Amino acid sequence: MATRLKHRTVVFVGGGFTAALAARQLTAKGVDVVVLERGIDRTHTAATSLPSQRDELRWDVHGDLFQDWSVQTYTLRHNDGETALPIRRLQAFKPGEGMGGAANHWNGQTWRWSESDPVLRTHLENRYGKKAIPAEMAIQDWGVSYAEMESYHDQFEKLFGIAGTAGNLRGKVQEGGNPFEAPRQNEFPQKPLPITEAGVIFSEATKKLGYKPFPMPAANSPEAYTNPDGMQLGQCQFCGHCERFICEANAKASPEVLLYPMLRKRKGFELRLQTHVLDILYDRKAKRVTGVRYLDLVTGEEYEQPADVVVLSSFTMSNTKFLLMAGIGTPYNPKTDHGVVGKNFCHQTMSGTRVFFKDRWINPFLASGASQTVIDEFNGDNFDHSGLGFFGGGYVYANVTNGRPITSRAVPPGTPKWGSTWKKANADWYAHNFTISAHGSWYPHRENYVDLDPTYVDAYGQPLLRMTFDIRENERKMSVYLSKKIDEIAKATGADMAPPTAPRKGPYDSRVYQTTHVTGGTIMGSDPRTSVVSPHLQHWDAENLFVVGASLYPFNAGYNPTGPLGALALRLGDDLNDYVARPRHL
Amino acid sequence: MTNDPSDKTFRPNRRGFLGVAAATGAASLASGVLIGTAATTAEASEPAPSQSADASASTIAAKLPSPVPGYLSFGPDEAGFVELMVNVMCPADALTPGGVDCGLAAYIDRQLAGAFGKGARLYMRGPWREGKPELGYQLPLTPEQFFKAGLAAADAACRKRNGKAFSELDESGADRFLHEIADGKVTDERVQLASWFNELVYPLFEQACFADPVYGSNVGKVFWKAIGYPGLPAIHSQDMVDFRGKLFPGAADPKSIADFA
Repeated sequence: MATRLKHRTVVFVGGGFTAALAARQLTAKGVDVVVLERGIDRTHTAATSLPSQRDELRWDVHGDLFQDWSVQTYTLRHNDGETALPIRRLQAFKPGEGMGGAANHWNGQTWRWSESDPVLRTHLENRYGKKAIPAEMAIQDWGVSYAEMESYHDQFEKLFGIAGTAGNLRGKVQEGGNPFEAPRQNEFPQKPLPITEAGVIFSEATKKLGYKPFPMPAANSPEAYTNPDGMQLGQCQFCGHCERFICEANAKASPEVLLYPMLRKRKGFELRLQTHVLDILYDRKAKRVTGVRYLDLVTGEEYEQPADVVVLSSFTMSNTKFLLMAGIGTPYNPKTDHGVVGKNFCHQTMSGTRVFFKDRWINPFLASGASQTVIDEFNGDNFDHSGLGFFGGGYVYANVTNGRPITSRAVPPGTPKWGSTWKKANADWYAHNFTISAHGSWYPHRENYVDLDPTYVDAYGQPLLRMTFDIRENERKMSVYLSKKIDEIAKATGADMAPPTAPRKGPYDSRVYQTTHVTGGTIMGSDPRTSVVSPHLQHWDAENLFVVGASLYPFNAGYNPTGPLGALALRLGDDLNDYVARPRHL
Repeated sequence: MTNDPSDKTFRPNRRGFLGVAAATGAASLASGVLIGTAATTAEASEPAPSQSADASASTIAAKLPSPVPGYLSFGPDEAGFVELMVNVMCPADALTPGGVDCGLAAYIDRQLAGAFGKGARLYMRGPWREGKPELGYQLPLTPEQFFKAGLAAADAACRKRNGKAFSELDESGADRFLHEIADGKVTDERVQLASWFNELVYPLFEQACFADPVYGSNVGKVFWKAIGYPGLPAIHSQDMVDFRGKLFPGAADPKSIADFA
């Protein structure tokens, strides 16, 4: 039997990025908050200290910061007719574990999405007609507009010290920024990161083709920075150990640096580490949640934590799993297209090529996670999709984030896989090549969804989440289109070698890293028949249950998910303050 | 190990490597932090030749760290297989010593004997079924067990094909056989050898070459020097501006975890 603990006001399930931002708003108003996190605080551990922080084998290859697959993984099948099998060592995306979650090991690429993204269905129907959107493409509006989120974007960028060049200041397009940027009220709080050699080459090539390159908006701090909370970032050292690592210089804006240390000093805030939440307790008749049940990993004891409000703030996959386990909301059924929990599961459509330059020093190790140069001409609906047979797109960029020798090294195609020729090719080309990639959107398909696996269980005896998932025609066509654009740019760089880009193809491959941006499952919207939570992130079937995370996105854009997620989490914090003061459907 | 005079499989040696290196002017090998006890190796105890080029090569050879001898996971036959394999995949040349001298066999042995080999972070619950390649590894064997099952199957296939054990092949024969495995031309009734080689053995080989020397390979940071990876501490905020588009001088003298420990 679980020991019943003292009642609390708000309990967060998962101590990552979104929980910290929402808790910041709540604790500022004195609301009592407890955050349950399965992992540890890695401050002052090997992960955050030199020299062990720079250990590529441990943190990257062996993934010591990521979710432990021996404890919990996911199963995969490509369609309903197959039997799903567990992915025993997942490579395709990398959920985090520990205080700060996956936002500790991110690269720091921080976008606002297009102004049209929160109203994507309306926008595409207006531009191309209702019939242009295929029946199986379940895109929908968020129920909240970019204009409503703008001030939260602004607040988030200041908190995280985002470095960049404004592209659209209050409706005026700015030289040097992204001309397709949604209008911003203010400049970025920090100047952009210095350009890399790869960025110089990419800029010249894309300008030649008539595009407008600009620096990636970055959460790698170009200088020492103090945010509005008085929390500090150090200066980025361009060490090439961002993604998959925690920054030991505190130069990568992350919850572990900027939020939790502050929150833990605030009255009424409690972080309970090494607590694994097992269930959300749901009173079906009252349509309310009453708290959560969790396992204390240190004592081995089970506890019930009663609360006025429960917030699911875990990774995309776990948010969905908790709802399915508790039976809150109707699970999605692809055959009837009814139900909502688990629908619109999406990932990211990546492709890219390597450009090789005999006589130019790319020095890939002089880089940070977001020190990239980008064009946005082929993202979202920034270009005319008439007659193309697909929707969506992606940004194209000179993608140098590191020169880590095990995983980031490349040799020209046709090089033998070992031997002296292989070694010489490594020596000749290691410092002389870089990737030009497309970071592409992934729109929902009726047959792509997640539910509970009927067979496989995790270390706690609970079912694994099952992905029924493949790359469908829309994304395949888009990837062919973007890959051609990559090849045109690669050619314009004048590279000695630029092998053709291989577009993404099915079947979906669990062995190849794409991004950690899996989205959907608990999507937001203004219609309870097609969404899990309201535009205020409040569950339609349990008034005092809120959900936050990339599981909210009804589709995945060609942008990284963190920017709008920061804005949504801050807005949720304000909404929760409102709700706690006067509980109701917001 | 390689300095065992009875070991007929070992051909390339450190002197062979340094002879070429000296001839091609790779003088940077003498620099850097050099630790270890290479003086105990057989070739270092040979009388030093009087010619200056060879003499300096010997001096450098004596300073190169040696991989820690002895294995934790491999038995003698497995060691023989892996040693020839890494010496063929990484022959001694102008860039590095042979694979064994670089510590590649020691690295693979330590990885298999340690957490990775025992299945750490690997979901190991049944039921077990064969799956599409895109679903990844689906066997109830730990990586160490799978490595050995594959090695035994490859060796048996080698005997069938070539009439002798893998460790008895000459270098070009061994190289050819490894390519045939990688290309799926060598089959076994129970083990998918191409997947064994490409998804387990080859990644271990690449890691062995390029991981921090703290893991027992990449001795003297030879692979980092070969490609020009500067290693640690990577405090580059100014370098990134000063050496944009230029040769980075730190690449000639990389530093590793041991240098800061």
